[in-house]
Amino acid sequence: MIELCGVTKAYPTPSGQHVVLDRISATFPEGVSVGILGRNGAGKSTMLRILGGAEQPDSGKVVRSGRVSWPIGFAGGFNGSLTGEENCRFAARIYGADLDEVIEYSQDFAEIGEYFRMPVRTYSSGMRARLAFGLSMAIDFDTYLVDEVTAVGDSSFQAKCKRAFAERRERSSVIIVSHQLSTIRAYADRVALINRGRLHFFDNIDKAAKAYEAHAA
Amino acid sequence: MRVVNGAMSQLTVVHALVLRETRTRFGAHRLGYLWALLEPVLMILTFYALFALAGRPSSSGMGLIPFLATGIVTYQLFQQTADRVASSVSANKALLFYPHVHPLDLVFARSALEVATFVTVFLVIVGAHGLVVQELTVDSALTTVVGALLAGALGATLGLVFCSLGVISNSVDRVRGPLIRPLFWISGLFYSANDLPTQIREIMLWNPVLHCTELVRDGWFTSYTARYASPTYVMGWIVALALLGLVLERSVREKVQLT
Repeated sequence: MIELCGVTKAYPTPSGQHVVLDRISATFPEGVSVGILGRNGAGKSTMLRILGGAEQPDSGKVVRSGRVSWPIGFAGGFNGSLTGEENCRFAARIYGADLDEVIEYSQDFAEIGEYFRMPVRTYSSGMRARLAFGLSMAIDFDTYLVDEVTAVGDSSFQAKCKRAFAERRERSSVIIVSHQLSTIRAYADRVALINRGRLHFFDNIDKAAKAYEAHAA
Repeated sequence: MRVVNGAMSQLTVVHALVLRETRTRFGAHRLGYLWALLEPVLMILTFYALFALAGRPSSSGMGLIPFLATGIVTYQLFQQTADRVASSVSANKALLFYPHVHPLDLVFARSALEVATFVTVFLVIVGAHGLVVQELTVDSALTTVVGALLAGALGATLGLVFCSLGVISNSVDRVRGPLIRPLFWISGLFYSANDLPTQIREIMLWNPVLHCTELVRDGWFTSYTARYASPTYVMGWIVALALLGLVLERSVREKVQLT
C-alpha cells in the first residue's frame, strides 16, 4: 500500500516555479491496480518517482508498506558500459534477490539473445525496455510502478507483459501511468486522472475517459 | 533494530556498488588492473630518471624508489579519490533510479574502491622493489596505514564538496583539476618536510596532503622521522570538509535531476 498525504512537488523554470503535483492526497491500496491517465508533461513520471521514493516531495508525506519497484519502463537504472547481465546482477544484489534466478528469468523474459552479454549501450531502446521489464518481473515486488508500457516492444511482447502481470495479480498490484486510455484499460482496476497538478479518482473508466477527452480537447 | 536494518541494507547497496564500480573503473579485461598500476609506476620511473640525471639522492637515507613510491602513491590516492568521488553522482545518475541507492552510497563506494586500489598498487610496487633489492623492512606499519587512510579520507571529503557543488553548477568540474593539480608539486612527493628551509616549510605545512606523505614515510622508513607531521591537523581538515560536504549534499539533494 502507498499513501500520499498533501504531496507537493515543483520544479524551477526560467519563468518561475512550475508546480507539477499540488497537494495531492491519495491512497493506493494493496491488491488494487491503479491506472493514472495524463497528457505529456502532466506530471505522471514525477508522480511515479515520488511513489517509488527516487524523488522526495517538496512538502507532504509518502507512506509505503511492502516492496515497491523502481519506475519500470524505459532504461532507467542501466549503466551503458555494463552488459545486460551485469546490470541485472547489480539490481538483484541491491534488492537482496537470488542472483542466478534473477539473471535466468530476466534473460528468458527479455528475449534479446546474445545481446544479454553485451554492453547495454549497444541496445536499441526496445531492447533496453525489454530487459528493464524482464528484470523487474524477476524481482518480487508487492507494487510495480510502470511508466508508459505502450512504448515497450511489439505486440507479442506486450501480451507477454500482460500475462506476467496477470500471473502476479494475486500477490502484487500495479500502478501504471500512461497517456493512452487503452493501456490503462488493459491493466487497471481503478482509474485516476492527473491534470494541473491535481489527481482525481473515477469510479469507472468511461467517466475517466470522458473527463480526459474534455481536458485534451 | 531499525538502525541495524538500515545499516545492513545500506551495506548491501554499497557492496553491490563497489563490485559494479570495479567493473566500470577497470573495464572488462583483467588487464585493466594493470592500468591502475602503470600510471604511478611510470611516474616513479620518470622521476627516478630525473633524480639520477641530476645526481640527486633522496633525503635522509631513504631508498630512492620507495621514497618516490610513498610520495607518488599517497598523492595519487588523495587526488584520484577526490576526482572519482567528485564525479560519483554525475556519472551514476541512472542508479538513483533505484530508490534505495543514495548519493552518499555512491561516494562511499568510490572512496572504498580508490583506497583499496592504491593500497594494492603501493604494496605491489614496494613488494616488487623489495624482491629486487632483497630487502624490505617497515618501521611502523600502523603509522603508514594512518597516513594513507588520512590521504584517502581527505580526498573523499574534498570530492564530496566538489560533487555537491557540481550539482549546482557545471563549471565546478572545470575548475576542479586546476585547483587540485598544483598540489602535486607542493605535497612532498620529491622532497621531505625535514629538508625544507624553515620559512618555506612553515608555509608548506598548511597543505594537509604534505602531512599525509610525511606520515606514510615516517611509518615506512626506519631512517626517517617526520618531525612536523600532525595527524590531528589533517583530521581537522577532514572533519571540516566532511561537515561542509554533507551540508552541501543535503541542500542540493533535491536538485539532482534524474533524467
